[in-house]
Amino acid sequence: MSNSLDSYLVLSGLLFAIGTFGFLARRNAISMLMSIELMINAVNLTVLAFGAFVAPLRVHAAVIALLVIAVAAAEATVGLAIVIAIFRNKKTPLVDEYDSMRD
Amino acid sequence: MTFLIPLIPLLPLAGFAITGLLGREMGKQSHKVAVWAVVASWLVAMLVAFGALSHTLGFDAAGAGIKLWDWIPATGFHADMGFFVDPLTACLLIVVTTIGMLVHIYSIGYMAHDEGKWRFFAYLNLFMFSMLMLILADNFLLVFAGWELVGLCSYLLIGFWFPRRSAAEAAKKAFLVNRVGDMGFALGIMAIWTQLGTLNMQAVFAKFAGVPHEWQIAIALLILCGAIGKSAQFPLHVWLPDAMEGPTPVSALIHAATMVNAGVYLIARCNPIFGTVPEVMVIVAAIGIFTAIMAASIAFTQTDIKRVLAYSTLSQLGYMFASLGVGAWTAAIFHLMSHGFFKGLLFLGSGSVIHAVDGEQDMRKMGGLARKIPITYVTMLIGSVAIAGVPPLAGFFSKDEILGGAFKNGFLWVWAIGFVVAGMTAFYMFRLMGMTFWGQSRVDPEKEHPTHESPPTMTRPLILLAIPAIFLGLLIGFPPESGLLHQWLAPVFEATITASGRTEAAYSFFGIDGVLAIGTTALVAVAIVMAWRLFGVNMPALGLHAEPRPDRVRELSERQGLAELYRGSSHKWWFDDLNNLLFVVWGGKLAAAVFWFDRTVIDGTVNGIGTVTTGAGMRLRQVQTGRVQNYALGIALGLIAMAVGYILIAVR
Amino acid sequence: MPISDSIPLVGIRWDDVLFVVLAAALLGSALLVVTLRDIIRCGLALTASLASLAGIYALLGNPLVAATQVLVYIGAISVLILFAIMVTQTKNAPVRLAFQTQAWIAAVAAVAIAIVISITVLATTWPAGGQRLWTATTEVAHLLFSDYVLPFEVVSVLLTAAVVGGVYLARRESGPREEDRS
Repeated sequence: MSNSLDSYLVLSGLLFAIGTFGFLARRNAISMLMSIELMINAVNLTVLAFGAFVAPLRVHAAVIALLVIAVAAAEATVGLAIVIAIFRNKKTPLVDEYDSMRD
Repeated sequence: MTFLIPLIPLLPLAGFAITGLLGREMGKQSHKVAVWAVVASWLVAMLVAFGALSHTLGFDAAGAGIKLWDWIPATGFHADMGFFVDPLTACLLIVVTTIGMLVHIYSIGYMAHDEGKWRFFAYLNLFMFSMLMLILADNFLLVFAGWELVGLCSYLLIGFWFPRRSAAEAAKKAFLVNRVGDMGFALGIMAIWTQLGTLNMQAVFAKFAGVPHEWQIAIALLILCGAIGKSAQFPLHVWLPDAMEGPTPVSALIHAATMVNAGVYLIARCNPIFGTVPEVMVIVAAIGIFTAIMAASIAFTQTDIKRVLAYSTLSQLGYMFASLGVGAWTAAIFHLMSHGFFKGLLFLGSGSVIHAVDGEQDMRKMGGLARKIPITYVTMLIGSVAIAGVPPLAGFFSKDEILGGAFKNGFLWVWAIGFVVAGMTAFYMFRLMGMTFWGQSRVDPEKEHPTHESPPTMTRPLILLAIPAIFLGLLIGFPPESGLLHQWLAPVFEATITASGRTEAAYSFFGIDGVLAIGTTALVAVAIVMAWRLFGVNMPALGLHAEPRPDRVRELSERQGLAELYRGSSHKWWFDDLNNLLFVVWGGKLAAAVFWFDRTVIDGTVNGIGTVTTGAGMRLRQVQTGRVQNYALGIALGLIAMAVGYILIAVR
Repeated sequence: MPISDSIPLVGIRWDDVLFVVLAAALLGSALLVVTLRDIIRCGLALTASLASLAGIYALLGNPLVAATQVLVYIGAISVLILFAIMVTQTKNAPVRLAFQTQAWIAAVAAVAIAIVISITVLATTWPAGGQRLWTATTEVAHLLFSDYVLPFEVVSVLLTAAVVGGVYLARRESGPREEDRS
C-alpha cells in the first residue's frame, strides 16, 4: 500500500474534496481559509507523490513543494490580513454577510 | 528652385495657424499676419511662376515637381505628398495668389469694423492654403484634399455671418450641392486607382491611353461631375448665387476668381483624359454653353447687385466649359485668367458700392452713384467694359478666342449660342452700371447723406485689378492664338491637340477670324446701346447722356410673349423650386417613409432585443447573490461537469 | 538488533501500517476541520492534519519537505490562524449556524470531486516504479540554488510583499484626531 502511487493520489484527492467542501459550506471566513490550506496541501502531496515514484521528477518535486509552501505562507498572511480588515469594517467574520458584490 | 514650391501653400497655412490661434488676442491687428503671409506667398509664387513659364530656375518645358514625403505608404496603395508646377499651374498661381493678395488687402478695409475679423482672415488664409494645394498637387488624392478643403472654406465663409439665417442656409446649400459633385470626383479617383494603380497625375496621363474605352468614359464623366459641382455648372449651379450671402471679398475671391475655377482647372489639367473621349467633350461643351445662356438670361432681371454678378460668373464659367469642350484649351485658361481679374474687380467694386450705401444690395435703391464714389465707378466701368468684350480689353481677346475656337473646331451651335450670350453679357452689365451709377439717385434719404468713397485699402486693390483687366489681353493674348499665353501653355496641351487630329488654321484677321471678331463686337455694341437707352448713361467725357426709362422697361417686360420670359428669368427658371419639389417635398416624403420603417421595423427589432435582454437580466439578477461561496459552488459544479464529461469522452 | 520490515506474526509491513495510520489521522482531522462548530477546535484539528501530512512526506522519502512542513505550517501558519481566530471571535457571533444553506449541495459536490479524482487516478496507468525513492537534502539544495535560483528569489520578494501587504491591510486605521496630531 505505501509503495503504490495510486494510494497517495487517492489520499490527496480525498483531502482536496474535504477542503472543497469546507470552502463551499463554512460560513466563517477563517474556516474557508483553513479549507484552502487543506486544498493546497492536497496538491503538494500530489507533487511529492509523483516525485517519490517517478525518477526524473524526484528532486524537482521537492523544490516545487518547498516553493508551494512558501507561496502558501504568503497567501495565508495576506488572506488573514484581508479577513481581519473586513472584520473590522463589518464587525462579523461570517462570509454570507459580505455581499457588497451584489450591488 | 523647386524647393520653394512648398512655401507657397505653407505660408498661408502658417498664417492660418497663427491667426486662428492668436487672432482673438491680436484684436485690431489680427489681419497683419494673414496679409503678410499671403504677400510673401505671392512673392514666392511669382518667382516660381516666372521659372516655370520661362523654363529657368530648374524648370523645363514639362514642369518640375518636388516630393516631400510618402503620404500614404500602405501596402498596395500609395500616395505621395508632392507638388508639381508646369506652365498651367503657373498661370493659375498668378491668378490665385495675385487676386488672393489683393482681396486680403481689400478686406482690411472692408472688415475693419467686424468683430469676427480675425476669424475672417484665418479662414481666408486657410482658403489660400487649400486652393494652392489644389493647384500644386501632383496626385489626385492631394487634389481631392485641396478640393474638399476649399469647399470647407467656402462653407465657413459663406456662413461667416451665421447668425443671419439666410447666410447659414446658403452655406449649407453650397456645401450639400458641392457634396454631390465631390462624390463623383471621389468615385472617379477610385476608378483611376482600380484601372491604373497609381494616382500620380503624370503617371496617370502617361498610361491613360491603355485603359478600356468604357472606363475612360466613366472616369472622364466622374471627374466632370466633380468639376460641375465646384464650378457651379448646370444642374449643380444653384448654390453659387446663394453663396453671395458671404462677405463681398469672399464672393470676389472664392466665388468668382479662384475656387469656382477649380473645375475648369481640373478639366484642363486632365486634358489627356478628356482628349481620349470626344463623347464626353461634347457633353462638357453642351453643359457649358447651356449654363452660359441660362445664367445670362437670369442675370437680365435680377435686382441684387451681387446676384447679377453671380449669374454673370456662372455664365462666364459656362463659356470656359464650352471652350474646354470644343478643344480650345488655351482659350479656356485665357478666359479663366482674364475673368478672374475683371470679375474679382467687379465683385470688389460692388463691395465698395455696398459699403458706400451702408449695406444696401438692391440696385433699385441705388443710382447716380458715379459722382459720389468716382474711383469705384471708374474701375467698375473698366471691369464692365472688359467683361462685355469691348476691344482691346482683356475680355475681348479671351471671349473672341473661345468663340473662334468653337467655330473653327466645328461646333457651330456652340458658337451660335456663345455669340448670343456675348450680347446678353454686354446688356446686363450695362444694365447694372446704369442702375447703379447713372441716372437719378434712388438711395434711401437716411442712407443718402453718409455715402462716401471707400478707404484706400479698398480702392487701391480696385485700381490694381483694373490694370490687368485692361492690359492682360494685349499682354498675353496678342497677337491672337500665338500670344505669350499660347507659347506658355503649348507644352501642356500640345499632345492632346495633336491626338485629337485638329490642326488649327493660323489666325487670319482678314479671314474667318476677323469676320467673327467684328461680328461679335458689333453685337456687343448694339447690346450696350440698348442697355443705355433703357437704363441710362452719363459719360460727359464721351458726350454720352441718356436718362433711364423705367416705364419703357416695365412696358417691355409686360408685352405679350416677353412677359413669360421675364417671369421665368426673374424666377431663375424655377430651378430652386424644381429642386425644392424633387429633394425637399418628394425627398421629404421618401425620408418620412424611411423614418417610419426605421421607427417600426428597425427600432422595433432593436428595442425588442433590448426588452428581452432587460427582462432576462431582471430574472437572472436573482442568481447574483454577491456571496463568494455561491459563485465558488458554481465554479465547482462546472468543474465537475467538465471533468465528468471529459472522463466519459475518454472512456469511449 | 535491526527492526524487521514487517510486523512479526501478522506479516504486514511497517510502512503500510504507518501509511494507514497517518492517512486515517490526516483525513479524520481534515474532516474535523470542516465540520466542527467551534472554530478554535477547527484550528487545532488543522494543526493535527498538517502534522499527519508531514509524516506522510517523511514516509515518501522526503525529510526536508517534512521538516519544512512542520516549521512553516505548524510553527507559523497554524499559529497565525489561531491568532486571527482570536482577533475575530465576537461573543455575539452565532456559533450554531456554522454552515451555509448550500452545505448539502457542497457535500454532494465534494463527494463527486472525490469520486471523479479517484476514478481518474485508478483508471490511469502511471509511468511510475513500484518503489519509493529517497530524496537527499543536498540534492534539493544544489538544485534549488542553481536551476531554481530565480524562482527562489522571486518567492522571497513575494514573501516580503506579502508581509508588507499584510501589515498594511491589517493595521488599525488611524483616526482623524491622530492624523491631526502628527
